[in-house]
Amino acid sequence: MGSRFDRRVLPWLLLTPALLVVFGLVVYPVGRTVWLSFRSAGLPYLASGQSRFVGLDNYRHLLTDAHLRQVFVTTAVFGFACVAATMAVGLAVALLLNQPFRGRGLLGVLVLLPWAVPRVAAGVVWRWLFDDQYGLVNWTLSHLGHDFTGFSWFNNRVPAFIAIGVVVVWQSFPFIALSLLAGLQSIPPEVKEAARMDGAGPLQMLRHVTLPMLRPLLLTLIVVSTIWDFKIFDQVYVMTGGGPYRSTELAAITVWREAFARLHLGSAAALAVALFAVLLVMTVGYSRLTRDDMALR
Amino acid sequence: MALYAAAVVVAAFAVAPFAWMLLTSLKPDGEILRRTPSLWTAHPQFGRYADVLHAGFAVALRNSLVVATGTTVAGVAVAALAGYALARFDLPLRRYLLLMVMAVQMFPLVVLIIPLFVVMKALGLLDSWLGLILAYLSFTTPLAVWLLRSFFDTIPKDLEEAAMSDGATRAGAMVRVIFPLAGPGLAATAIFSFIAAWNEFLFALTFVKQENLRTLPVALSAFVGQQQADWGLIMAASVLFTVPVVIFFLAVHQRLTTGMVAGSVTG
Repeated sequence: MGSRFDRRVLPWLLLTPALLVVFGLVVYPVGRTVWLSFRSAGLPYLASGQSRFVGLDNYRHLLTDAHLRQVFVTTAVFGFACVAATMAVGLAVALLLNQPFRGRGLLGVLVLLPWAVPRVAAGVVWRWLFDDQYGLVNWTLSHLGHDFTGFSWFNNRVPAFIAIGVVVVWQSFPFIALSLLAGLQSIPPEVKEAARMDGAGPLQMLRHVTLPMLRPLLLTLIVVSTIWDFKIFDQVYVMTGGGPYRSTELAAITVWREAFARLHLGSAAALAVALFAVLLVMTVGYSRLTRDDMALR
Repeated sequence: MALYAAAVVVAAFAVAPFAWMLLTSLKPDGEILRRTPSLWTAHPQFGRYADVLHAGFAVALRNSLVVATGTTVAGVAVAALAGYALARFDLPLRRYLLLMVMAVQMFPLVVLIIPLFVVMKALGLLDSWLGLILAYLSFTTPLAVWLLRSFFDTIPKDLEEAAMSDGATRAGAMVRVIFPLAGPGLAATAIFSFIAAWNEFLFALTFVKQENLRTLPVALSAFVGQQQADWGLIMAASVLFTVPVVIFFLAVHQRLTTGMVAGSVTG
């Protein structure tokens, strides 16, 4: 009797709590958000569950509303810029950590720090670093040549995004650098030796040997950081709150404001679904690329 | 030489913000707002930490501890059972696990937030610890199941089989033989869940409005608004929020790195 129970009942008994969590807290909410994206829902929906079917109106609204359209463009441009910067910094740090020098182990640990800091705290600390009057950033930049005294980073869109971007890169380069370092260390020494015998210099080595061998890993890391950088919420909320004049709103912030400040639940849901769809399409696209890559080998 | 210069630049970029946070929190008031920042202080003031705790952070600290601990205990318990089942039984769900983990990593939490808000409002779970713990299980559980399943996979099956041939039931063998061996894996998964819950901001901001139930990230962000220019206090609050997770993080980063790669990458 025991063994029959063990084989047939026990596994499902063990899985039940996890399945409840996944269906109740993930599958149901996602389905409900999709459902809501086809409906007009506002305060009455929160109060008593009233909503009205409106077909694709919410999605049409995403395409016609000037602000929402801009949010999409901003999210994409800012997201890709952050991915590019993170990959560049991450690769540079990985190449550095792959060199033999004294203190390399220490640097490997120090580099972890930014990753460990909670996003909200990182935003707050960098806001102080970017302070117009007394910030360390303006002081350092002024000493490097250009006078930044009193320059206020958060009064305009582009400087504000640069400041937010610095925080994003600061927090995400450690993961990229350490993953790439692991990749670099798995390249067989014979390959490098052969290239060196053929007279390849360090730059040629990077371009023709190292980067091609790391390509699958690079693509994967690009996917991971794209996913991160398209859903940024905390850093923006803490550093600019989406201002000035909603000009630094990214998609996640806009969904939240549409839903909980303006109570446009239907269009907020549509925007959330669209953001998810964009991430899904990109992930699938990238994984096709990686697979084609594998097939070529 | 160039190597060392590069190493110094990288180290400065990584560490300076962290060091500046600590230093600002310790400087006397007169030394903080200076045109030419002083890079050291001769008179560290530890009193700010007490001030910050009195200003409501003691309560926020308690809330964060309760919510993060609750999420960790519930999440690891749920995930350990499921992870064991997926590692030891040939279940059709095995194939969908990775998909699930990836999907949860991928979608923005704002996709979940409206329905969760509505359900919690209906059940009276807004402004409660339990509500936040439940919300956090949505994103900690799938990755925890994944981590623990991979961990159980590394423990040889012979161990339970030996126990079972000695008359133990499967459940008994699981609890008495396998879970103790899985200690390191359970600990790493627990720390991962704890950090994720401790740091979470979006749900905490949305589902809790009462000031005395706020967790640390929300309290910190509200504090910045109230204390506009008192950066000494704000940095002290940031230190209280940051240092515990940094310690935890450095303890498990190795496992976390591999876990994240496994969890966020096509297998």
